[in-house]
Formats: sequence, C-alpha cells, structure tokens
Amino acid sequence: MVTKKSSSEKIKSLFGLKISGIAPELEASGIKYFCGDQRLMDSEEVTDISLEFESLIVSLLGSVDPYDVQSPEFHALESFFGSLSQQVLMRGGHVEDVVRYTQTLHLGLIDALSKSSGIAFSESRTVLLYFTGIFNELIMAVFRAYLEERESTMQALQAEIRETATPITEIWDGVLTLPIIGTLDSSRTMLVMEALLNRIAKDHAKAVVMDLTGVKSIDSQVSHHLIQMVRAVQLMGSDAIITGIHPEIARALVSLNIDFNNITTRASMSDGLKEAFSRMGITVSH
Amino acid sequence: MSIPGLHLTQIGRGDFLLDPSKSLNTRNSGQLIEAISARLLQARAVRLYYDLSDQSLIDPVYYAWLDMLARAMQAINVRMICIQMQPTAAFALSRFLQEMPQFETALDIDDWR
Repeated sequence: MVTKKSSSEKIKSLFGLKISGIAPELEASGIKYFCGDQRLMDSEEVTDISLEFESLIVSLLGSVDPYDVQSPEFHALESFFGSLSQQVLMRGGHVEDVVRYTQTLHLGLIDALSKSSGIAFSESRTVLLYFTGIFNELIMAVFRAYLEERESTMQALQAEIRETATPITEIWDGVLTLPIIGTLDSSRTMLVMEALLNRIAKDHAKAVVMDLTGVKSIDSQVSHHLIQMVRAVQLMGSDAIITGIHPEIARALVSLNIDFNNITTRASMSDGLKEAFSRMGITVSH
Repeated sequence: MSIPGLHLTQIGRGDFLLDPSKSLNTRNSGQLIEAISARLLQARAVRLYYDLSDQSLIDPVYYAWLDMLARAMQAINVRMICIQMQPTAAFALSRFLQEMPQFETALDIDDWR
C-alpha cells in the first residue's frame, strides 16, 4: 500500500500537468496502422485522435491516483480506446490494427515524454511498470469493444437469417401465409413456430396457410414438430391449413403414424387460401 | 359471488368471463369447480370465456386444471372457450399435448362471437 502510494506520488510529481505538445510525436503510430493500404483514417483524423489521447493521458497522470483504474479519468481513456476500436472495425479494419497501434503508442508515449522532459524514462522501472499496466488495461478495452461488436454483428446476422427463413406474410386481413422452402430440421421448425405464434398474436390472425410445396423430405421428428406447430396455432384460436403436401411427404406421414385428425389440408396454396377466406366469410370470384 | 383466486363476471346474456388472478390455487380445483358451476347454473350460463392473457406458461399441472374445468363445463352444458392464449403458453402446451383439449380456443371474445 505504502509502495503503491509512493509510486503514485512519484508518477504524479513526474508528469502531473507538465506534459504538453506531445501529440505530433504520437501521430506516427496512427499513420502507420490506420493510414496504410487499408485507409481506415485520413491524416486529419489521426491528428485528432492523437490530440484527444494526449489530453486524456494528461488528465490521468494529473488525477488524484494515476494508478486507479476505476477513476473517471481512466474510464474516459478506456472509452476512447473502445470507441476507436469500434470505429476501426466498422470501417473494415481488424482488431490487430488497433492492438498494434496501442502497443506502438505505448512506446511512442514513453519516447515523447522522455524527449519533452529530458529524462530517460525507458530506464525507470516505476514508469515502465506504470505504463505497461495502463496499456494492458487499454488493450483489454480494445478486445472488449471488438467482442461486443462481433457479438452484435452475429446477432444481426442471425436475426436476418431467421427473418429470411420464415417469410410470414399477411396476405389478407387476418390471413397469414407461410411458405416453407428447403429442408425442415428441428431447429428451423422451432424458429418458424416461434415466429409464427408471435405473428398470430401481433396481427390477430384468424387463419394460417402453411405451404409445404417446397419441402422435399421430412423425418419423424420434424413431422411431429409440424403437428405440434399446427396444434399450437389452433390453441391460440387460429385455423391452421396445410397445403402442398408432396406424395413422398404424404407417404412418410402415413408410415410415421401421424394423426391428421382435426388438421385441415388442401392440395395447393390457392385452395388453402380459398378455404381460409371461406371460413372468414369472404367470397373470391373471378 | 366471490370465488378466491378468480373473477367471474357476466358479460352478456348467458356469457361469463373467468379472469384468473395470480393467487389462483389450482390445488383446490374441486372446490373451485363447484363454486364456478354453481354460479353458472344459477345464471343459466351458456358460454364461459377463460382469459389466459396473463398466463405466459401452461404446464401439465395448470393444464390438468383447465381440462378438469372443461369437463365439468361439458357436464353442465356450458361451452368453455379459452381466449388470448399467449404464444409461449401455446408453444409449451403443444409440446406435451397428445390430443386436442376438451375446451375450445379463440383469439378473443369478439373473434369468437
């Protein structure tokens, strides 16, 4: 505790509010990693981030305890690196660019401070340990921002896949259509079911036409999920109509002993729609 | 007539709305069914709408209560219609249900009417 306090005092007395004009020296690392082939930033932006970094590091070194990683000054520095990381990733850069920039900035800062004060800080164990600790935390902030960004990108992609895998359309007031195309596996059936039930509640749908024209094969588990889906639709108070069952699917359903009692089926989507409309008292004429 | 754990309100000629509250104790199903049946018989009820809008999950215990109530309603010639079943509840119920339940279902009262 005493050592930490004395180190803190030492750092404060060495740097506290005495640093200025080091930003131009720090620009080199930014130019090296952000203005190269990838052109993630222009030189003006690098100047801006160098100035901002200088102001933030000066605030930290002049704070009550420069070692305190919970201090508002350190949080501001951490947020700066988090935002920088997000900005670089959004422009198509890699996390390695930001990590290498941070590492080079670490060395560049010690050099710049040595030049401005005339003291060889590279030989001071206290100073080196202090900045190593600070920059390790900042690299952690860069990785946290990277992981958050990746997580949100993955969630957005998953949402997009879910959306395209379940094209539920309200074709008429209270009538939903759900064309199922491709292979139906258990996880997809669950996704479709979740989306469909929520849509029934949201749109107050009275009938759902599920078209299986695009389904080429079905297994025991999936057929049970399909029946489960129909049952859940009925439990919510809507009518479920299944259309477009291929002969192969019909054969599979029979051999799997699937009970089609209480389930309305029609040959084609248009027949299914006619049935849904007639149940709602709507007459479609040519 | 007050029945602990639920509100039973007449909403039209022969129509009743049963709105269960959070304090509904389905372990007293026998007493509850007796009290509900007595009220419906007294008012010559034709339909009983059971509001499931606050029930986000229907487990086998809760389903057993609904099934028992639906059978009792059949016995006294009252149609039981469960309304506003939540997607999560429908999903959970469809997973363990072997056959369609004794009660009917509708999105809401207007939809049924």
